Amino acid sequence: MGDEAKSIARGLQKRDPDLLDRLIEQYQYRLFRYLVYVTGSRERAEDFFQETWIRVLERGHQYDGKSKFEAWLFAIARHLVIDWQRTKKPQSLDTLTDPEQEHPLQLANENEPSPLHQVLSQENEETVQASLQKIPAIYREVLVLRFQEELQIEEMAGVLSIPLSTVKSRLYRGLEALRGALQGGAA
Amino acid sequence: MNPESHARAKHLVAQERVEGISQSERDWLASHLQDCTRCAERARQTDEALRGLRTAAILLPSGLASRTQFRVRLRAQELREQAPKRRTLWFACALSWAFGIASAPYVWRLFAWFGERTGVPKLVWELGFGLWWTIPALFAAAVLLMENSRRGDEPDWMSQGS
Repeated sequence: MGDEAKSIARGLQKRDPDLLDRLIEQYQYRLFRYLVYVTGSRERAEDFFQETWIRVLERGHQYDGKSKFEAWLFAIARHLVIDWQRTKKPQSLDTLTDPEQEHPLQLANENEPSPLHQVLSQENEETVQASLQKIPAIYREVLVLRFQEELQIEEMAGVLSIPLSTVKSRLYRGLEALRGALQGGAA
Repeated sequence: MNPESHARAKHLVAQERVEGISQSERDWLASHLQDCTRCAERARQTDEALRGLRTAAILLPSGLASRTQFRVRLRAQELREQAPKRRTLWFACALSWAFGIASAPYVWRLFAWFGERTGVPKLVWELGFGLWWTIPALFAAAVLLMENSRRGDEPDWMSQGS
């Protein structure tokens, strides 16, 4: 991982277009999937996907290869989403991201099918996968990072800019919520 | 089995998947799950949920990568085009500063001569000289401030991977 990360860092310093092309190809699925789960919308995820890579180009010199590239990439994507939410909603960032709040990072209108649900329906996802839309995005996000992206808890803490203990508590709650959603869907 | 053992099993089932558990805890959990169908069912549901999450597939929009690559290349070109302008600006600043230092004694004499000829108070022409000499520095400082204020807009998280 070290050598690859270092070589990515060197390429980003130089804004190497071939490297960026390769990285976009390589991480397109993972980044897009993450953005779909975080935003709950394919269209929005597509916009953020492109913006994320523009940021990678512009700020690539800030990545020095000491951590996994994907962790840095997800952090960029996540903060773009948060910045967008901040301009969209008049609440503070803490309100949107604090798991103890009543309505953490929920983009969906409760009276309408959530965009994520629509996405999943369109793509004929199985019941288990469709159940994900019932989970608050803040838990969905940690589950995606841990169990789909297989990031370490320490790396997640970096991506989310929160303490390890908070990552763990979100993971436990998210896991329980996922299990509960699955049971609710099956019932 | 008491309620505490069920609670412990519930916690260990989650902990095993989130951060891992020790061998002794794994042994205890395995023996508990063998005897307790309710906890075993819970563990099975948790595994099923995680399997569903891991296998969840999202269709990529067609041409997403190529469109992004195109946009990124365009932006890279813009940045490349801006770079020589910035370099020229810095070069002009440095040149002007070097010239200012080299010509300072002569300019000082020129200001002094001009002050004597016009009868302008010494303080005024000295101030004029100071201003003339510091203009390149002020200009460079202004450019630096502008650059810094732009960088200041970048949040801390941008450098967390570095």
